[in-house]
Amino acid sequence: MADTTVRQGSRAGGAGPLAGLSAWANRNVKWVFTAPALVFTVVMISLPVVYTVVLSFTDARGSIQRDFSFVGIDNYVEMLSTFDRFWPAVWRTVLFTGVAVTVQLVLGLAIALLLRKPFKGQGFVRVVILLPLVATPVAVAMMWLLIFEPTIGFANEFLGWFNLPAQGWISDPDQALPTLIFVDIWQWTPMVTLILLAGLSTLPEEPEEAARVDGANAWQRLVHITIPMLLPAIVAAVLIRSIDALKTFDLLYATKGRGGGSLNEAETLNILAYSLSFEYNDYGMASAVLVVFFVIIVAACLALWQIQKAGRRT
Amino acid sequence: MTTPQVQDEAKALTRQRPTPRRSSRRRRATAWRWTGILVVAATFLFPLFWMLLSSFKTSLDITDPSAMFGFEPTARNYERVLQEQNFGRFIGNSLIVGLVSTGLSLVLAVPAAYAMSRYRMHRSSGMLLLARVIPGVSLLVPWYFLFSRMGTVGTFLPLFVSHMFVTLPLITWILLSFFDGVPVELEEAGRVDGLTNIGVFWRIALPLAVPGIATASILAFVFSWNNFMFALVLSGEATRTLPVAIFNFIAYSSIDWGGLMAASVVITLPVIVIALLTQRYIVSGLTAGATKG
Amino acid sequence: MRMTRPVLTAIATATAGALLVGCGGGSGGGDGGAGADGDGGQLFVTLANHPWTNVVQDKIADFESETGIDVEVTVLGEDQLSDQYNVKLNAGATDVDVMMMRPLQEAKLFSSNGWLLPLDDLLADGGDDWNWDDFQMQTSVTTEEGVVAVPIVTEQEVLYYRTDLLDAAGLEVPGTLEELQQAAATIQQQNEGVYGFVARGQRAALVTQFSSYLYAQGGDWDDGEGTATIDTPEARAAYEYYASMLKDYGPPGVTNMSWKEASAIFQQGQAAFYTDASVFYNNMIDPEQSRIGDTFGVAQMPAGPEGSAPYSIPSWGLAVNQASQNVDNAWRFIQWVTSPEMTKEIQVEGVAGARTSVWEDPEGTSAFPEQLAEVIRTSMEDGVDHDRPVVVEVGRARDIVGGPVIAYLDGQDLDAALADAQEQYQALLDDER
Repeated sequence: MADTTVRQGSRAGGAGPLAGLSAWANRNVKWVFTAPALVFTVVMISLPVVYTVVLSFTDARGSIQRDFSFVGIDNYVEMLSTFDRFWPAVWRTVLFTGVAVTVQLVLGLAIALLLRKPFKGQGFVRVVILLPLVATPVAVAMMWLLIFEPTIGFANEFLGWFNLPAQGWISDPDQALPTLIFVDIWQWTPMVTLILLAGLSTLPEEPEEAARVDGANAWQRLVHITIPMLLPAIVAAVLIRSIDALKTFDLLYATKGRGGGSLNEAETLNILAYSLSFEYNDYGMASAVLVVFFVIIVAACLALWQIQKAGRRT
Repeated sequence: MTTPQVQDEAKALTRQRPTPRRSSRRRRATAWRWTGILVVAATFLFPLFWMLLSSFKTSLDITDPSAMFGFEPTARNYERVLQEQNFGRFIGNSLIVGLVSTGLSLVLAVPAAYAMSRYRMHRSSGMLLLARVIPGVSLLVPWYFLFSRMGTVGTFLPLFVSHMFVTLPLITWILLSFFDGVPVELEEAGRVDGLTNIGVFWRIALPLAVPGIATASILAFVFSWNNFMFALVLSGEATRTLPVAIFNFIAYSSIDWGGLMAASVVITLPVIVIALLTQRYIVSGLTAGATKG
Repeated sequence: MRMTRPVLTAIATATAGALLVGCGGGSGGGDGGAGADGDGGQLFVTLANHPWTNVVQDKIADFESETGIDVEVTVLGEDQLSDQYNVKLNAGATDVDVMMMRPLQEAKLFSSNGWLLPLDDLLADGGDDWNWDDFQMQTSVTTEEGVVAVPIVTEQEVLYYRTDLLDAAGLEVPGTLEELQQAAATIQQQNEGVYGFVARGQRAALVTQFSSYLYAQGGDWDDGEGTATIDTPEARAAYEYYASMLKDYGPPGVTNMSWKEASAIFQQGQAAFYTDASVFYNNMIDPEQSRIGDTFGVAQMPAGPEGSAPYSIPSWGLAVNQASQNVDNAWRFIQWVTSPEMTKEIQVEGVAGARTSVWEDPEGTSAFPEQLAEVIRTSMEDGVDHDRPVVVEVGRARDIVGGPVIAYLDGQDLDAALADAQEQYQALLDDER
């Protein structure tokens, strides 16, 4: 397949019967390099996409192996107008993602700058910040659920040491989402830090050094030199993290259960789509939600892209 | 317009040639920096410390906040995890799936990210990102259908492929940003020296990208390690991975909190070892490498 | 335009064709046929992570050596099991033969989807030794397609109480709902840090444990003929009672509680009364999980105006996948694991089974303390055969009928919530007729 071509081609310079092939690969390096990854992705994604889109125009229920009819855009109309759980879920999804990713970016950048220069024990600290990522999300969710249990959890015990009033945390309909955002920040800030740390390691030191000689202070150097140079890494981190945050599932499901809690207080679009397909077995409506969800994520990515482009121009 | 504190931090962040006059301020900066590092480490560690403590408690003590420190340690939880549940084989499965899917993804993603960065292939890179966008719920039924038609459910193949779907876009996107940040001038110089396009990639861009590749690989491995949904429907009894196995501690009508916490601790250990092995590649980079040479 | 069965195949073929990707020749057999080495063939058994399973798993080797059948067991948690069935059976899986499932949650849905093999013929040929008539609760595993599962584990709702707190307050074990409410109030007042009552408060999770209160007041979800009865005075009384018990005497955050949180609070000694399934008894006497092993008791559900009416249901059953290619082996396995001998062996380990003969055998109840055995026996007699709405879309129905409790706890108007639930539940019933 194509990837063997890449490998052979990459040992270019070697003569023999492969010379012609490697010359061809060199001329078309753009596609030789990208085609395998693209083909893989397209193959894997096309069936699920077609399947979801087709189902979203049907009234499939119970089992997709049962008879069903095409109902046009009925599901979409119902979802956008009368289905009372849709719009709140959209709002919660946006809120959860917006707050969590913003805080993660700010904290992640700060921590990356803090850890940028070598120091004693840096290996240890870098492994420590990896830990929240490593502990399986389901186990992490269960752990926080227990810590935040109002009666038998540690969080309220901790508040008690300072004579602060006990809170409802995850179990309180008003506090659930903020608490879960906190957990998401705890768990995923390290990923942003790691990506930015890797980005920082490639930056040449000269521009910053030059700015320092010119008398720019630390803040100015950060804003005018480091961040613009780091922008590709920042965009990558924000993009990946936003997509994952929009899709957050394990944490919400393990702590709030079906429907994002009794009052749907933590129900995001992904949880809603899950409930519709696996608890209500309403595949038509579930697929419609998924399609809209998909469109929202793509739109968010495009928006971030525009910001990146604008950032590059300045 | 500079506050002393910002200046101090600036000193911490940029390499300074020590002069006698500045040494006391430098010490203060170092102190600030260390405080920051300790706070960060403690914040990320505390809940895991709680998890570690809990793994030595009975379920009763775990659900009793007043027994935070005052409890009688027990090794029963680890016995259950390692002997009764035999977590060794799940760890093995997860390692195989994580390493193979990350490795295969690297083979596909590194050249792709390079080409997409150099030739500014925005649409193609967006296409890859779609793989990450699509919610898992819509993937499960079609994939299971496909893989079972191929007669491969219960083997490692569907796990490799489905986890690649998770790791490929991640690696591509991290490396894309990385190659964007690598100055083109070095490659121009390589071309002048007579290297082909592929030669430039292999001899110049790839070595420069080692920290990025290391970071992306670790993150990709972690995502594969933690993936639950695909393993749930695509793995068989012989290929079951850790995140599915951890549910062995959550039964109908009872939760084995101690076992759950011990299993969580056991799960993190292999990744810590891998992180320790690879972290020095993350640290090195342009500053230590090629440009200074 | 109507589409029929192989729609996924059609989509897959079209997509695959468009991509010029052959998918392994579409052998169609799945992995059902391959890899069997025992001469008796192969069998895929999917079980829930449950005490029943723990006992059975140790004995499967006996079955394998006896029959030469190669059994591959998959064990999953309750929710994961349900997810896996939904994915696999939707895709027409053949690597599931015997399915452990929850009859009241899934039987109607799965069977109307055509996923479950009707067992009537097999049951009739079960033989005298096996004897289908020995099984209780047959109505709960019967759908319009026939009998679709063999019950293996049974449950009743019971009242757990703290003997020490009752003694200190000079109270008897409450026999009626009114006495329960008074006792909860008294004990909560007398004991700092102890809540009078705890039970499930999470919308869908509470439905099953609320059901016994509903029946005790003379209510039900519907009249069995397609008319919802959520807004009747009886149902209203039950909703108000249950929700106000949680509100007045329950711990904070109760709307987030399923059995996980509720039972942990009772086991920590922080609540005086707890109503939930009989299966939790084993956790409460376990000193590794419970602080109150020596100071709690169990009683039949308190009586309402209509007496005590706890649900008494088969919480788990074994079914056979309609698409199974190993039906004979599947049935052999079910016959073996539900035989009188095996049922007794499992029940002796403390897992309540469904065979009358085992319950009548003194040895069969030897694992249960006298008090619990007595409560289970009487609860079986007074029991109601369902603990949730008996509909196809149980998931949706649970969210609807659990709603009024949540509304009350949230401070909303109960009557409005009941009217709303009535309307939605009626719509669901109409939809399914």
